[in-house]
Amino acid sequence: MLNVTDVSLSFGGLKALDTVSVAAAPGAVTGLIGPNGSGKSTLLNVIGGVYLPDLGKVTLNGQALPLGRPDRVAKRGVGRTFQVPKLAHRLTVFQNMLAGERDHCGESLPNLFFRPGRVARQEKEASGRASTILNRLGMYHKANDLAGSLSGGQQKLLTMGMLLMADPAVLLLDEPAAGVNPVLIEQQVAFLKTLRDEGRIVILIEHNMDMIANVCDRVYVLDAGSVIASGTPHEIRANETVIRSYLGQPANTQEV
Amino acid sequence: MIDFAIYSVTVIAIWSVLALSLNLQFGMTGLVNFGQILPFAIGSYAAGIGASLGYPWWVGATAALIFAPLFSLAVILPAQRLSQDYWALITLGAAEIFRLTMLNTPSFAGGADGLNVPRFGDSLTALYVSLGLLAVSFFFAERVSRSPFGRMLRVLREDEVLASTLGRNPIRYQASISAAAWIMAAAAGVAYGHFSGYVAPTSFTVTETFIIWTAVILGGPGRNIGVVCGAIIIQLLGVSSRFVAQWVDLPSDLIANLRLASFGLILVVMFIYRPQGLIPEAREVHDAERD
Ligand SMILES: Nc1ncnc2c1ncn2[C@@H]1O[C@H](COP(=O)(O)OP(=O)(O)O)[C@@H](O)[C@H]1O
Ligand SMILES: [Mg+2]
Repeated sequence: MLNVTDVSLSFGGLKALDTVSVAAAPGAVTGLIGPNGSGKSTLLNVIGGVYLPDLGKVTLNGQALPLGRPDRVAKRGVGRTFQVPKLAHRLTVFQNMLAGERDHCGESLPNLFFRPGRVARQEKEASGRASTILNRLGMYHKANDLAGSLSGGQQKLLTMGMLLMADPAVLLLDEPAAGVNPVLIEQQVAFLKTLRDEGRIVILIEHNMDMIANVCDRVYVLDAGSVIASGTPHEIRANETVIRSYLGQPANTQEV
Repeated sequence: MIDFAIYSVTVIAIWSVLALSLNLQFGMTGLVNFGQILPFAIGSYAAGIGASLGYPWWVGATAALIFAPLFSLAVILPAQRLSQDYWALITLGAAEIFRLTMLNTPSFAGGADGLNVPRFGDSLTALYVSLGLLAVSFFFAERVSRSPFGRMLRVLREDEVLASTLGRNPIRYQASISAAAWIMAAAAGVAYGHFSGYVAPTSFTVTETFIIWTAVILGGPGRNIGVVCGAIIIQLLGVSSRFVAQWVDLPSDLIANLRLASFGLILVVMFIYRPQGLIPEAREVHDAERD
């Protein structure tokens, strides 16, 4: 269980998050929706350790996450993607995948020279896993392309693949489907469901309400840094406050 | 003539080691070190000071290999929360502070007159030591370049936040590669001290750092064989300009300035037309057969 408790964060005078509390259960997809600038990405940045909140805490299975330290949060099994995909653009798809490998013994200088056998073994093992995941994502034929040469949609898939290399217990996904072609979206939805069924905690930011309704078990609606509603996708679609602030039409004309 | 060839190859080998060292930092990791001459100066001065205190050569050499990485950590660790631009300024400043300290401590470091360093027994010894050092440095840099460690250095170069969200602490990688690269440059400095027989502050100015950068940018940042070729070309240009000086009747300081201007021109042309360098970074290809 991932619990965000009363998190607040201001940028100068702007309250990007105002006492936000969110709970995300394993084996479920938790959606975050809200207008642009409502603080969704900021919340993921807090959970992922990129931003240190002014107040509040985040716990994973009851233990506080080391906020403000993205590397330590990641080591606790939290993986995330960014709204604008982050990749090593001048490395190949396959090298990016291998960079996702957790605790690689070949990332220590002494091991390179004194334990080359062990390094080669882990590299081989990681390569095998990277190939499997790339196949699962339908991207294996791109293995030797530079990551920077991929389309936006493929870049988003690749960042997801890199996450999976580390086998994270928590996935934080920032608009994985935005700007992605419908075929890839379908692939992603299927993929998300697999991840959910594997018992992971998945937090998903998404604007596409069909996708939200399709994969989310529970949805939180953010507006101007505050949670204004939460519930099942069905409840959210019927919620008048949400309709007014986000879905953009007066309640009486909204067809649900 | 043969003596001149031996001299040239020795100089080229020493500067190639400096280029490989900068390539580990800048080419692979993206660390902009504008004080690359500092570890080299530490090496030469350790050799000189050790000798002036009457110790055998290996005492100075050992001190160089211990102090250089310590200096690198002293420079990089306080800068860890700052952006890369500050790292450039801090390294530039550190190199100048070191040079000025040597310049202003005549009793200890010889001041402007510098210090004598015992020369290698003969010029062939200097050549073999320098080539041996180059071979070891090249092997090290290649092993790093093709390893998981080198891959993560490149990820850091492309995006530090990405590396952190993958669970890596950027400073651990930056600090360890800097320490290794500074050891390499310090070893080159020790060899240079015993080769030239003399250390003085004028050998370690910002201009020298600029020359190492030109070699790396020309050859191909991120590619070890490329930066060695860059160092060869730049040093050959430097050596040949001395011949030119004999033929044309120009004052030698003008020739020296023209040489620097030509390096500047090389930098500009490379930045505009071929930023990847003469021999660009290779793509690490995954061989599907091996799965
Ligand atoms: N690093 C930052 N510095 C200053 N303001 C920021 C920063 N990150 C986000 N903001 C501001 O915080 C608010 C919430 O942004 P964000 O979380 O990206 O919104 P969303 O993802 O919901 O579209 C916006 O007003 C944005 O301008
Ligand atoms: Mg956003």
